Amino acid sequence: MASYYPEPTNIWESIEYSSLGTSIAESLWAFPTLETIHVIALVTVFGTILVMDLRLLGLAGNKWTVLQMSKDTLPWTWAGFVLAAITGTLLFTSKASTYMVNPYFLWKMGLLALAGLNMAYFHFVTYKTVTEWDSSPVMPGGAKFAATASLVLWLGVVFCGRAIGFTLGIYY
Amino acid sequence: MGDFFFGLTEWLRTTFLLDWAFWIETTGFNKVLVTNFWGVPIAQVLHIIGIGAAFAATLMLTLRISNMAGMSRSVPEVSARYMPWIWWGLLWIIASGMLMLWAEPVRNMINGVFWVKMILLLVTVFITLAFQKSVRSAATVGGAGWNAGGGTKMTAWLIVILWCLIMAHGRWIAYAPV
Repeated sequence: MASYYPEPTNIWESIEYSSLGTSIAESLWAFPTLETIHVIALVTVFGTILVMDLRLLGLAGNKWTVLQMSKDTLPWTWAGFVLAAITGTLLFTSKASTYMVNPYFLWKMGLLALAGLNMAYFHFVTYKTVTEWDSSPVMPGGAKFAATASLVLWLGVVFCGRAIGFTLGIYY
Repeated sequence: MGDFFFGLTEWLRTTFLLDWAFWIETTGFNKVLVTNFWGVPIAQVLHIIGIGAAFAATLMLTLRISNMAGMSRSVPEVSARYMPWIWWGLLWIIASGMLMLWAEPVRNMINGVFWVKMILLLVTVFITLAFQKSVRSAATVGGAGWNAGGGTKMTAWLIVILWCLIMAHGRWIAYAPV
Protein backbone atom coordinates (compact mmCIF):
# COMPACT_ATOMS: atom_id res chain seq x y z
CA MET A 1 0.00 0.00 0.00
CA ALA A 2 1.29 3.43 -0.88
CA SER A 3 2.28 5.52 2.09
CA TYR A 4 0.99 9.07 2.28
CA TYR A 5 3.44 9.92 5.03
CA PRO A 6 6.82 11.60 4.49
CA GLU A 7 10.10 9.82 5.18
CA PRO A 8 10.73 9.97 8.94
CA THR A 9 13.67 12.17 9.93
CA ASN A 10 13.94 11.05 13.55
CA ILE A 11 12.87 8.23 15.87
CA TRP A 12 9.64 9.99 16.95
CA GLU A 13 8.51 10.40 13.34
CA SER A 14 9.42 6.75 12.72
CA ILE A 15 7.07 5.78 15.55
CA GLU A 16 4.34 8.16 14.39
CA TYR A 17 4.50 7.00 10.75
CA SER A 18 4.68 3.30 11.68
CA SER A 19 1.68 1.18 10.72
CA LEU A 20 0.62 1.10 14.40
CA GLY A 21 0.88 4.87 14.81
CA THR A 22 -0.93 5.70 11.57
CA SER A 23 -3.65 3.08 12.20
CA ILE A 24 -4.50 4.71 15.54
CA ALA A 25 -4.29 8.23 14.11
CA GLU A 26 -6.48 7.41 11.09
CA SER A 27 -9.11 5.42 12.95
CA LEU A 28 -12.28 7.26 14.01
CA TRP A 29 -12.68 5.24 17.19
CA ALA A 30 -9.21 4.00 18.23
CA PHE A 31 -7.91 7.22 19.87
CA PRO A 32 -11.09 7.98 21.88
CA THR A 33 -11.39 4.32 22.91
CA LEU A 34 -7.78 4.18 24.10
CA GLU A 35 -8.31 7.50 25.91
CA THR A 36 -11.39 6.08 27.64
CA ILE A 37 -9.45 3.06 28.92
CA HIS A 38 -6.58 5.41 29.87
CA VAL A 39 -9.00 7.52 31.97
CA ILE A 40 -10.54 4.51 33.75
CA ALA A 41 -7.04 3.15 34.45
CA LEU A 42 -5.64 6.47 35.71
CA VAL A 43 -8.54 7.21 38.08
CA THR A 44 -7.98 3.70 39.51
CA VAL A 45 -4.27 4.52 39.98
CA PHE A 46 -4.94 7.95 41.50
CA GLY A 47 -7.86 6.79 43.66
CA THR A 48 -6.10 3.77 45.17
CA ILE A 49 -2.94 5.83 45.77
CA LEU A 50 -5.13 8.42 47.52
CA VAL A 51 -6.52 5.69 49.82
CA MET A 52 -2.98 4.54 50.72
CA ASP A 53 -1.57 8.07 51.10
CA LEU A 54 -4.44 9.12 53.39
CA ARG A 55 -3.60 6.14 55.61
CA LEU A 56 0.10 7.09 55.62
CA LEU A 57 -0.87 10.63 56.60
CA GLY A 58 -3.10 9.24 59.38
CA LEU A 59 -6.11 11.04 57.89
CA ALA A 60 -8.36 8.10 56.92
CA GLY A 61 -8.53 4.34 57.35
CA ASN A 62 -6.50 4.34 60.59
CA LYS A 63 -8.25 1.12 61.67
CA TRP A 64 -6.21 -0.63 58.98
CA THR A 65 -2.56 -1.42 59.56
CA VAL A 66 -0.31 0.09 56.90
CA LEU A 67 0.62 -3.40 55.68
CA GLN A 68 -3.04 -4.40 55.32
CA MET A 69 -3.92 -1.20 53.47
CA SER A 70 -0.98 -1.68 51.16
CA LYS A 71 -2.01 -5.29 50.47
CA ASP A 72 -5.58 -4.14 49.69
CA THR A 73 -4.72 -1.28 47.36
CA LEU A 74 -1.36 -2.02 45.72
CA PRO A 75 -2.48 -4.79 43.29
CA TRP A 76 -5.13 -2.41 41.90
CA THR A 77 -2.70 0.50 41.71
CA TRP A 78 -0.33 -1.68 39.68
CA ALA A 79 -3.08 -3.15 37.49
CA GLY A 80 -4.33 0.37 36.74
CA PHE A 81 -0.80 1.62 36.12
CA VAL A 82 0.04 -1.16 33.65
CA LEU A 83 -3.22 -0.52 31.76
CA ALA A 84 -2.58 3.25 31.75
CA ALA A 85 1.00 2.71 30.53
CA ILE A 86 -0.10 0.42 27.68
CA THR A 87 -2.92 2.71 26.51
CA GLY A 88 -0.71 5.77 27.05
CA THR A 89 2.04 4.26 24.89
CA LEU A 90 -0.48 3.50 22.13
CA LEU A 91 -1.86 7.07 22.31
CA PHE A 92 1.74 8.32 22.14
CA THR A 93 2.55 6.36 18.97
CA SER A 94 -0.23 8.15 17.06
CA LYS A 95 1.29 11.62 17.63
CA ALA A 96 4.81 10.86 18.90
CA SER A 97 6.61 13.86 17.41
CA THR A 98 3.86 16.28 18.52
CA TYR A 99 4.03 14.98 22.09
CA MET A 100 7.82 15.11 22.19
CA VAL A 101 7.82 18.90 21.64
CA ASN A 102 4.99 19.51 24.10
CA PRO A 103 6.38 20.77 27.43
CA TYR A 104 3.43 19.38 29.41
CA PHE A 105 4.05 15.91 28.02
CA LEU A 106 7.73 16.17 28.99
CA TRP A 107 6.77 17.48 32.45
CA LYS A 108 4.30 14.64 32.82
CA MET A 109 7.01 12.07 32.05
CA GLY A 110 9.38 13.82 34.50
CA LEU A 111 6.74 13.88 37.26
CA LEU A 112 5.97 10.18 36.63
CA ALA A 113 9.67 9.40 37.03
CA LEU A 114 9.78 11.42 40.29
CA ALA A 115 6.66 9.61 41.55
CA GLY A 116 8.43 6.33 40.79
CA LEU A 117 11.59 7.43 42.63
CA ASN A 118 9.51 8.60 45.62
CA MET A 119 7.77 5.22 45.71
CA ALA A 120 11.08 3.33 45.39
CA TYR A 121 12.71 5.36 48.20
CA PHE A 122 9.67 4.81 50.43
CA HIS A 123 9.59 1.09 49.67
CA PHE A 124 13.31 0.37 50.05
CA VAL A 125 14.20 2.79 52.87
CA THR A 126 11.23 4.09 54.93
CA TYR A 127 9.22 0.87 54.66
CA LYS A 128 12.05 -1.23 56.16
CA THR A 129 10.91 -0.28 59.67
CA VAL A 130 7.16 -0.62 58.88
CA THR A 131 6.60 -3.28 61.54
CA GLU A 132 7.48 -0.67 64.20
CA TRP A 133 4.76 1.82 63.08
CA ASP A 134 2.45 -0.48 61.15
CA SER A 135 -0.63 -0.11 63.37
CA SER A 136 0.12 3.35 64.78
CA PRO A 137 -2.26 6.17 63.85
CA VAL A 138 0.77 8.49 64.01
CA MET A 139 3.13 7.89 61.12
CA PRO A 140 6.87 8.65 61.01
CA GLY A 141 7.97 11.77 59.14
CA GLY A 142 9.38 9.75 56.25
CA ALA A 143 6.02 8.09 55.60
CA LYS A 144 4.18 11.41 55.77
CA PHE A 145 6.66 13.00 53.42
CA ALA A 146 6.33 10.12 50.92
CA ALA A 147 2.52 10.35 51.01
CA THR A 148 2.49 14.14 50.56
CA ALA A 149 5.05 14.00 47.74
CA SER A 150 3.07 11.20 46.10
CA LEU A 151 -0.19 13.18 46.14
CA VAL A 152 1.48 16.36 44.84
CA LEU A 153 3.31 14.47 42.08
CA TRP A 154 0.26 12.51 40.92
CA LEU A 155 -1.86 15.68 40.92
CA GLY A 156 0.85 17.17 38.72
CA VAL A 157 0.71 14.14 36.42
CA VAL A 158 -3.08 14.49 36.04
CA PHE A 159 -2.78 18.24 35.44
CA CYS A 160 -0.08 17.82 32.78
CA GLY A 161 -2.05 15.00 31.16
CA ARG A 162 -5.05 17.30 30.77
CA ALA A 163 -2.87 20.25 29.74
CA ILE A 164 -1.43 18.19 26.85
CA GLY A 165 -4.92 17.93 25.33
CA PHE A 166 -5.31 21.72 25.41
CA THR A 167 -1.87 22.61 24.05
CA LEU A 168 -1.37 20.15 21.16
CA GLY A 169 -0.53 22.08 18.04
CA ILE A 170 0.76 25.12 19.95
CA TYR A 171 4.37 23.97 20.07
CA TYR A 172 4.92 22.46 16.65
CA MET B 1 -24.96 3.84 17.75
CA GLY B 2 -23.54 6.95 16.09
CA ASP B 3 -26.92 7.43 14.36
CA PHE B 4 -28.74 7.19 17.69
CA PHE B 5 -26.55 9.85 19.30
CA PHE B 6 -26.71 12.03 16.17
CA GLY B 7 -30.54 11.83 16.18
CA LEU B 8 -30.66 12.58 19.90
CA THR B 9 -28.45 15.63 19.46
CA GLU B 10 -30.58 16.84 16.52
CA TRP B 11 -33.67 16.57 18.74
CA LEU B 12 -31.94 18.36 21.65
CA ARG B 13 -31.30 21.26 19.28
CA THR B 14 -35.10 21.74 18.97
CA THR B 15 -35.71 21.93 22.74
CA PHE B 16 -35.54 24.79 25.26
CA LEU B 17 -32.03 23.55 26.14
CA LEU B 18 -30.59 25.47 23.21
CA ASP B 19 -31.91 28.81 24.49
CA TRP B 20 -30.78 27.83 27.95
CA ALA B 21 -27.28 27.05 26.71
CA PHE B 22 -27.13 30.38 24.84
CA TRP B 23 -28.26 32.19 28.00
CA ILE B 24 -25.46 30.54 30.02
CA GLU B 25 -23.01 31.84 27.41
CA THR B 26 -24.13 35.40 28.19
CA THR B 27 -23.38 35.11 31.92
CA GLY B 28 -20.36 36.71 33.53
CA PHE B 29 -19.20 33.44 35.06
CA ASN B 30 -19.09 31.81 31.62
CA LYS B 31 -16.86 34.69 30.46
CA VAL B 32 -14.53 34.15 33.42
CA LEU B 33 -14.19 30.46 32.58
CA VAL B 34 -13.71 30.82 28.82
CA THR B 35 -11.41 33.82 28.85
CA ASN B 36 -9.01 32.08 31.23
CA PHE B 37 -6.98 29.55 29.27
CA TRP B 38 -6.69 27.26 32.31
CA GLY B 39 -10.36 27.51 33.38
CA VAL B 40 -11.64 24.38 31.62
CA PRO B 41 -8.49 22.23 32.08
CA ILE B 42 -8.46 22.95 35.84
CA ALA B 43 -12.18 22.13 36.12
CA GLN B 44 -11.43 18.85 34.30
CA VAL B 45 -8.52 18.05 36.65
CA LEU B 46 -10.83 18.67 39.66
CA HIS B 47 -13.43 16.42 37.99
CA ILE B 48 -10.87 13.63 37.45
CA ILE B 49 -9.51 13.66 41.01
CA GLY B 50 -13.08 13.56 42.37
CA ILE B 51 -13.81 10.57 40.13
CA GLY B 52 -10.59 8.94 41.36
CA ALA B 53 -11.61 9.37 45.02
CA ALA B 54 -15.20 8.17 44.57
CA PHE B 55 -14.42 5.37 42.10
CA ALA B 56 -11.61 3.93 44.23
CA ALA B 57 -13.89 4.08 47.30
CA THR B 58 -16.59 2.21 45.33
CA LEU B 59 -14.01 -0.32 44.15
CA MET B 60 -12.60 -0.96 47.65
CA LEU B 61 -16.10 -1.48 49.06
CA THR B 62 -16.95 -3.83 46.18
CA LEU B 63 -13.75 -5.80 46.75
CA ARG B 64 -14.59 -6.19 50.45
CA ILE B 65 -18.13 -7.38 49.67
CA SER B 66 -16.65 -9.83 47.15
CA ASN B 67 -14.14 -11.05 49.79
CA MET B 68 -11.26 -9.96 47.54
CA ALA B 69 -9.68 -7.24 49.73
CA GLY B 70 -10.05 -5.53 53.09
CA MET B 71 -10.75 -8.84 54.83
CA SER B 72 -9.01 -7.62 58.02
CA ARG B 73 -12.07 -5.41 58.69
CA SER B 74 -15.81 -6.07 58.81
CA VAL B 75 -18.17 -4.85 56.06
CA PRO B 76 -19.66 -2.11 58.32
CA GLU B 77 -16.12 -0.86 59.11
CA VAL B 78 -15.18 -0.84 55.42
CA SER B 79 -18.47 0.92 54.59
CA ALA B 80 -17.80 3.55 57.26
CA ARG B 81 -14.37 4.22 55.71
CA TYR B 82 -15.46 4.47 52.07
CA MET B 83 -19.12 5.56 51.92
CA PRO B 84 -18.51 9.21 52.88
CA TRP B 85 -15.85 9.33 50.15
CA ILE B 86 -18.33 8.01 47.59
CA TRP B 87 -20.98 10.65 48.43
CA TRP B 88 -18.71 13.64 49.11
CA GLY B 89 -16.74 12.60 46.04
CA LEU B 90 -19.94 12.60 44.01
CA LEU B 91 -20.79 16.11 45.24
CA TRP B 92 -17.28 17.24 44.24
CA ILE B 93 -17.75 15.59 40.81
CA ILE B 94 -21.09 17.37 40.30
CA ALA B 95 -19.65 20.75 41.38
CA SER B 96 -16.64 20.45 39.05
CA GLY B 97 -18.95 19.11 36.33
CA MET B 98 -21.09 22.25 36.71
CA LEU B 99 -17.98 24.36 36.08
CA MET B 100 -17.37 22.44 32.84
CA LEU B 101 -21.04 22.73 31.88
CA TRP B 102 -21.04 26.47 32.54
CA ALA B 103 -17.89 26.96 30.47
CA GLU B 104 -19.15 24.96 27.47
CA PRO B 105 -22.97 24.79 27.67
CA VAL B 106 -23.68 24.04 24.00
CA ARG B 107 -21.00 21.37 23.75
CA ASN B 108 -22.54 19.59 26.76
CA MET B 109 -26.26 20.24 26.79
CA ILE B 110 -26.81 19.88 23.04
CA ASN B 111 -25.05 16.54 23.09
CA GLY B 112 -26.75 13.13 23.24
CA VAL B 113 -23.74 11.49 24.90
CA PHE B 114 -23.92 14.01 27.78
CA TRP B 115 -27.58 13.20 28.50
CA VAL B 116 -27.05 9.44 28.31
CA LYS B 117 -24.23 10.02 30.82
CA MET B 118 -26.62 11.95 33.10
CA ILE B 119 -29.23 9.15 32.91
CA LEU B 120 -26.55 6.54 33.70
CA LEU B 121 -25.42 8.69 36.64
CA LEU B 122 -28.97 8.92 38.03
CA VAL B 123 -29.48 5.16 37.63
CA THR B 124 -26.15 4.54 39.40
CA VAL B 125 -27.06 6.86 42.28
CA PHE B 126 -30.42 5.11 42.83
CA ILE B 127 -28.93 1.61 42.62
CA THR B 128 -26.10 2.66 45.00
CA LEU B 129 -28.56 4.14 47.54
CA ALA B 130 -30.71 0.99 47.55
CA PHE B 131 -27.62 -1.24 47.57
CA GLN B 132 -25.93 0.54 50.48
CA LYS B 133 -29.16 0.51 52.50
CA SER B 134 -29.68 -3.23 52.02
CA VAL B 135 -26.00 -4.13 52.66
CA ARG B 136 -25.92 -2.00 55.81
CA SER B 137 -28.95 -3.68 57.33
CA ALA B 138 -27.89 -7.20 56.28
CA ALA B 139 -24.33 -6.68 57.55
CA THR B 140 -25.56 -5.26 60.87
CA VAL B 141 -27.85 -8.25 61.41
CA GLY B 142 -25.24 -10.73 60.17
CA GLY B 143 -22.46 -9.44 62.46
CA ALA B 144 -18.70 -9.39 61.79
CA GLY B 145 -18.71 -12.71 59.94
CA TRP B 146 -21.43 -11.65 57.45
CA ASN B 147 -20.89 -12.85 53.91
CA ALA B 148 -22.67 -11.24 50.97
CA GLY B 149 -24.81 -13.44 48.75
CA GLY B 150 -24.29 -13.83 45.00
CA GLY B 151 -26.87 -11.17 44.10
CA THR B 152 -25.26 -8.59 46.40
CA LYS B 153 -21.82 -9.26 44.94
CA MET B 154 -23.19 -8.94 41.39
CA THR B 155 -24.92 -5.65 42.23
CA ALA B 156 -21.67 -4.31 43.71
CA TRP B 157 -19.82 -5.10 40.47
CA LEU B 158 -22.71 -3.72 38.39
CA ILE B 159 -22.15 -0.37 40.15
CA VAL B 160 -18.43 -0.50 39.27
CA ILE B 161 -19.34 -1.23 35.62
CA LEU B 162 -21.85 1.63 35.62
CA TRP B 163 -19.11 3.99 36.86
CA CYS B 164 -16.88 2.83 33.98
CA LEU B 165 -19.73 3.43 31.50
CA ILE B 166 -20.26 6.94 32.94
CA MET B 167 -16.53 7.68 32.54
CA ALA B 168 -16.61 6.33 28.97
CA HIS B 169 -19.52 8.63 28.10
CA GLY B 170 -17.69 11.51 29.79
CA ARG B 171 -14.72 11.01 27.49
CA TRP B 172 -16.89 10.59 24.38
CA ILE B 173 -18.72 13.90 24.97
CA ALA B 174 -15.67 15.45 23.31
CA TYR B 175 -16.04 13.26 20.21
CA ALA B 176 -19.82 13.40 19.73
CA PRO B 177 -21.19 15.04 16.60
CA VAL B 178 -22.59 18.32 17.97
